[in-house]
Amino acid sequence: MHYKFSIRMIWIIPMILLLLLTACTPRSDSSEPRADGKVEIDFWTFWGSETRRPIIEKIINDFNASQDRIIVKHTYLPFGDIWTKNLAAVAAGNPADVIINDYANVNLRASKNQNTNLTPYLQKDNIADTFYPELWENVLYNNEAYALPFNTDTRMLYYNKTAFKEAGLDPNDPPQTWAELEEYAKKLDKKSGQTYEQVGFYPLWGDFGVDSWLMNGDNGNGYFDANDQTTINTPGKAATLKWLLSWQDRLGRQTVDAMKAEFGNGQSDAFISGKVAMYIQTGTYNTQLEEFGKDMDFGVAPIPERESGSGHWSTGGGFVVEIPRGAKHPAEAWEFMKYLTGVDAQKYWAMENFDNVANIEAAKDKEANQNPVYKASVQNLESTKLFPIPLSAPDYKNLINPHMDAVFLGQETPEQALAAAQQDIQSLMAQNK
Amino acid sequence: MKAMIGQKRPKISKLARQEERQGYLFILPWLIGLFGITLFPMLFSLYASFTNYDVTSRMDFIGLDNYRRMFTDDPLFWRSLSNTLYYVVWMVPLTTIGSILLALLLNEKVVGMRFFRTIYYLPAVLSGVGVYFLWMQLLSPTSGLINTLLSWIGISGPAWLSDPMWTKPAIIMMKMWAVGGGMLLYLASLQGVPAQLYEAAKLDGASVFRRFWHITLPMISPVIFFDVITSFIGGFQVFQEGYVMTENGSGGSMNSLLFYNLHMWHKAFTVFDMGYAMGMAWVLFAIVLVLTLINMKLSKRWVYYEGEDQ
Repeated sequence: MHYKFSIRMIWIIPMILLLLLTACTPRSDSSEPRADGKVEIDFWTFWGSETRRPIIEKIINDFNASQDRIIVKHTYLPFGDIWTKNLAAVAAGNPADVIINDYANVNLRASKNQNTNLTPYLQKDNIADTFYPELWENVLYNNEAYALPFNTDTRMLYYNKTAFKEAGLDPNDPPQTWAELEEYAKKLDKKSGQTYEQVGFYPLWGDFGVDSWLMNGDNGNGYFDANDQTTINTPGKAATLKWLLSWQDRLGRQTVDAMKAEFGNGQSDAFISGKVAMYIQTGTYNTQLEEFGKDMDFGVAPIPERESGSGHWSTGGGFVVEIPRGAKHPAEAWEFMKYLTGVDAQKYWAMENFDNVANIEAAKDKEANQNPVYKASVQNLESTKLFPIPLSAPDYKNLINPHMDAVFLGQETPEQALAAAQQDIQSLMAQNK
Repeated sequence: MKAMIGQKRPKISKLARQEERQGYLFILPWLIGLFGITLFPMLFSLYASFTNYDVTSRMDFIGLDNYRRMFTDDPLFWRSLSNTLYYVVWMVPLTTIGSILLALLLNEKVVGMRFFRTIYYLPAVLSGVGVYFLWMQLLSPTSGLINTLLSWIGISGPAWLSDPMWTKPAIIMMKMWAVGGGMLLYLASLQGVPAQLYEAAKLDGASVFRRFWHITLPMISPVIFFDVITSFIGGFQVFQEGYVMTENGSGGSMNSLLFYNLHMWHKAFTVFDMGYAMGMAWVLFAIVLVLTLINMKLSKRWVYYEGEDQ
């Protein structure tokens, strides 16, 4: 009798544990309809900073107040983490309803069934023409849209007008070609013995990398053409790589590395501190100049072109809005996406963040364009290229970058590097077929 | 007597059977965790490594394709493996020797020794991304403390984190900073060496070095073995250093900091080649297993266990 009771007690323990475990499982918010009858959708972003969070949440609150059917809930996830969590959520069948995602691999996510084809919604509300064509092309997969462009950026040459005057250069006549850029840079160099007090320009400082220069020097052609064929080993890119190397040869690699390591943020920024007279950055760099370089007299110009007529090509990036595959409320998500990419929200985002936006009308708004730097950045979008990930070689950068490094370390010639990079990429593409 | 002949073994008692059942019930939660959270994912990943699984759109059986691609078509597989081997081959001996030397130093009876032990141990309890950012400051080519100190003795230090020759030594140097953890292990084992052995040896005229070689080293060899095995296995799993100290885990200059796990991470979460990544995980498992077994085998030649008959 006593033993039977004990046995019964033993069996109860794991059952109790299981019940407790079940009770601890968090209940999903969206599984219950709201008392007010509204549909709640979950919106994931990585904008949690003091600056960005109030801006995006104001846009959300305005949307929530503008209609009585949908409530958007903002979920912040750290930059980077948001992508891996999205992957896990999509795989688990419990994703957000709307997510801000990276522009570069919309097509990769589409090919992997991670986002939603927006064609049915676009047939009802065709808003394709409201976006910059380059940005719209970027969200297509098999000629169908899987995201809406949200924001973007573009890179420009910032130059120090005071330094120009001191060097006897016209402060309202920035360099237009590579030859002028080099000529002006040499005049702007200031040396104290063997040490540079000011460097006129170095192409790889700032926010314009080897990839971008290779594109700029090759008539706007990146590593892949429209048919997914490699265009890495081209005469334009070879000439560009030699040209970039000549800058390092002139200044000295040790000088380049040492000075770059000294660059900081804010007051110690390369351009603001006067270490560099010309510097390539995005349009949003202006906010740093306003905050830390109040007395600076500077101008902005398009990226110099290789030779007259070859094109002031620049590179851009940005973020898109997507409906992850398996979202519970795609129709409501679409309504919110339309609002996010509409004129009012985009103009608000542009003005509060000093950021470039995807909506053409909002970007060209007169009020926003009263700022000359912003206006210049909007104009620069016309010659700005985006480079989505090629599906046949999605991790191409891991194979190309080492060869570019080897050139600047003197271990490969430009010709060798481009030939080897092309071969590596073609090998990778062959694997992925 | 007649009744006993038929029984081949004593019948298990009711009580013992009951206790056996109760024992299994008590460990049931752990068993559920083992099978559900460890074994199942392991076996799933083994199966997935023979497929083109990408988490969200496909999982077709492709035989050994992932493994063939790894060995014959992926130059970054070999690059990341050699980076990791370089790291392990240098990091394990250096941290082990460093820990032992530090422990010997701090095992002397000197005034203020507790303070010094604490100071040297502190770096081992610091962890996380903040430490990496600290070291990025220290390793800066011009304003960094390390190159400043080197310049005081006339050496022009390298650009540690951008010169592909020096990126991995820099990471290993960071690891040396945290030898305090190993020091603690050795300190404990050193204090377990019987004093009478030293007394007897000293009486017979043994030098300091011979006492170290013939008494200290054999007596702490089991702890050395443990430390080497765990450092070795941990070394192969290096990831954070490569990820944090290169921009967005790009692998650094000429992919010199592209460690094996970082490459695996890229394949899994950047290009969603999850089947391939799982195959990489199994290859790493096989490599570490084989090398650990070799380590175990070799240990019979140098690890001394006190209670063992020789």
